[in-house]
Amino acid sequence: MADESLAFHRRDPIKSSVGNVAANRRRQNAVTVGKERRESLVRAKRLCRVGISGDADADVSLDNEMMIDEEQSILEAQTSSAVEGLKSAVAYQGKGAMQKRVSALRDLRRLLSKSEFPPVEAALKAGAIPILVQCLSFGSQDEQLLEAAWCLTNIAAGKPEETEALLPALPLLIAHLGEKSSLSVAEQCAWALGNVAGEGEKLRSVLLSQGALLPLARMMLPNKGSTVRTSAWALSNLIKGPDPKAATELVRIDGVLDAIVRHLKKADDELATEVAWVVVYLSALSNVATSMLVKNDVLQLLVDRLATSNSLQLLIPVLRSLGNLVAGDSQTIYAVLVPGHEITDGVIKVLVKCLSCEHRVLKKEAAWVLSNIAAGSVEHKRLINSSEAVPLLLRLLSTAPFDIRKEVAYVLGNLCVAPNEGDGKPNLILEHLVSLVSGGCLPGFIDLVRSADTEAARVGLQFMELVLRGMPNGEGPKLVEREDGIDAMERFQFHENEDLRNMANGLVDKYFGERLWA
Amino acid sequence: MAMEEHVEEEKQQLGFPYWKSIPRSLGPESPFFASGNIERELLAKQVALDLTEDEKHQLQNMVVEEGGGIFCPIVGCGSRLTSLENFEDHYNARHTASCSVCSRVYPTSRLLSIHVSELHDSFFQAKVARGYAVYECLVEGCGLKFKSYKSRQRHLVDKHKFPSSFEFYKKAHLSKKQRQKLQRKHHKREEDSCMEVENESIDGLISGISKLSTSDSPSSVSFGRRHTRGLTFVPRAVQHEKMPDPTSAGTKR
Repeated sequence: MADESLAFHRRDPIKSSVGNVAANRRRQNAVTVGKERRESLVRAKRLCRVGISGDADADVSLDNEMMIDEEQSILEAQTSSAVEGLKSAVAYQGKGAMQKRVSALRDLRRLLSKSEFPPVEAALKAGAIPILVQCLSFGSQDEQLLEAAWCLTNIAAGKPEETEALLPALPLLIAHLGEKSSLSVAEQCAWALGNVAGEGEKLRSVLLSQGALLPLARMMLPNKGSTVRTSAWALSNLIKGPDPKAATELVRIDGVLDAIVRHLKKADDELATEVAWVVVYLSALSNVATSMLVKNDVLQLLVDRLATSNSLQLLIPVLRSLGNLVAGDSQTIYAVLVPGHEITDGVIKVLVKCLSCEHRVLKKEAAWVLSNIAAGSVEHKRLINSSEAVPLLLRLLSTAPFDIRKEVAYVLGNLCVAPNEGDGKPNLILEHLVSLVSGGCLPGFIDLVRSADTEAARVGLQFMELVLRGMPNGEGPKLVEREDGIDAMERFQFHENEDLRNMANGLVDKYFGERLWA
Repeated sequence: MAMEEHVEEEKQQLGFPYWKSIPRSLGPESPFFASGNIERELLAKQVALDLTEDEKHQLQNMVVEEGGGIFCPIVGCGSRLTSLENFEDHYNARHTASCSVCSRVYPTSRLLSIHVSELHDSFFQAKVARGYAVYECLVEGCGLKFKSYKSRQRHLVDKHKFPSSFEFYKKAHLSKKQRQKLQRKHHKREEDSCMEVENESIDGLISGISKLSTSDSPSSVSFGRRHTRGLTFVPRAVQHEKMPDPTSAGTKR
């Protein structure tokens, strides 16, 4: 029944005409539609518009127009009557009862799969949840389970209170994940649960205590199929915390680590993307997971993906997983990232690739990862300093958007300072400081000092201290002055942050104390 | 005395938070990852291409708003900034009130006018000489006034936690050319007399100014962008003291 090769993210036919009509619509109702649309775009939930199982349903050519007010209220009316229709179909006991139920469910499902904002509120008001829960009862036909789960999926894809309405349905949805269920039913239930998990911590913890983790994890073990992808996505929502328990539990389940490794190595981009997100949360939340992942050579797999892929969707979670692993337990990571070993060169190379690409997110997060490697041993610093990263970083420090510049600053500063050894003034790596300053990094740092962001100003001032203290032949003060550094520091006299004021005043007093009166 | 020095030394050593080379680990909920998370959801819904430029901007700003928004950090301002990139423009528009006499720049018009009274107004010095409390506290809303620069300074440090190195009469820095000129002159003089001049200069300036007549006061002050002036206005009375020659005090941007 389930055509396993069907695309999960098939391009939705709604998209093309939503473009023009939607643009007009938006101009009319700028404020409310804008806000709602924005919120729905960034939610971690996903509407199911097209069937999982190669729907033979001819009506799948959806209503492509964006609703105008009258049509929206028509839709709502239709939805209410569809729910009523379902209630009577369920009550009916006679011949052909099953067909009646499936047909009624299908009507409701179609109404909930159209338009940008499906009439969920109307459905809930009409009492859709209890009747849908009834349709999920054990022993029901697959088609019925599928349609009911699909309805619930879309009810849960919107606002928080709508998702929360699914609470009564959760135990049954979880139960139908079982290995005896048909694949498409299990997948549709996983999708619904993924939406519920994407809502927030509270619902996540309900799902976990009801035992959703294990069956979902099992669904991720096969080699391919849309079910694997959907369950991986649902898992990424389920373990995202902030409680790290689920992440640790997941990685300990038999077969999960092996599946993750297998998928990172061989899966197509779409599956690898969802699995990579699972790795993101495993590595961010669980030390146990981090160490298991590193021991199973996941680092190399991530590097390989970063080197060979150009899909932004895949690169984001892979890069972030790499970053989380590098930022994690330093003992584990530095045992692998030994300077001179091929893997270390590989990591730096892919980070350079990300820094050179056009995507803002990748540049920013790559700089963060690199800054953590630069926070390693002196050999790590030398390795980075002599790589192609430096000219690139210097350029970015002058020209990139603010958030990238700030991260780049961390890389460069870390290159100039010896590894941390307890309290007291850390030692400089003079060679690196001199070469970076002559490479023209000082203006970029002074720009950060001028910014309204406290952290950036702090970083800028700290680097200026290195320059003032460390540049040979007392050149530091001259260089800083030439780049209007004093000017930048004097701004802090009237700054509301006392620490920054003290830092700036301290530097000015110490290095420019003997100024002449005007 | 010895205690003070020791404390000063300690402050110097412990005061500044030096750059430490340490890894930074970030939790999954960190705002740092917000834009990547949003990108994920947009790509998954395959709508990235449908967004107008406006909407993309709005989404970026949503991240910032969720982080509490950005506000101007200059004391007493509190203006909401639309983005970090706009801060420079805001700063130049609102926080560069400059004195038309000596080109010193202040972040608020109130501080500028205090500066002008205290340094360029003979009436002010006359009142000081007669013992009136005319040195205003620099913190807006405080309202206290003092009879001397030093006692106001003490108040700022004690009551308002200003750093003891804070100087309202902060030495303005000269352009490279001016400093070179001055340095050449200083090489001719002895170091000692040079030092003497610096230490006495406030008092010298003040006593010089208090001998002024009203016609020496500037008639207007200007606000807005910084500009360099040809010559500093230095009261004739002061010029007779041992001050460095009047030089143009144009300050660099």
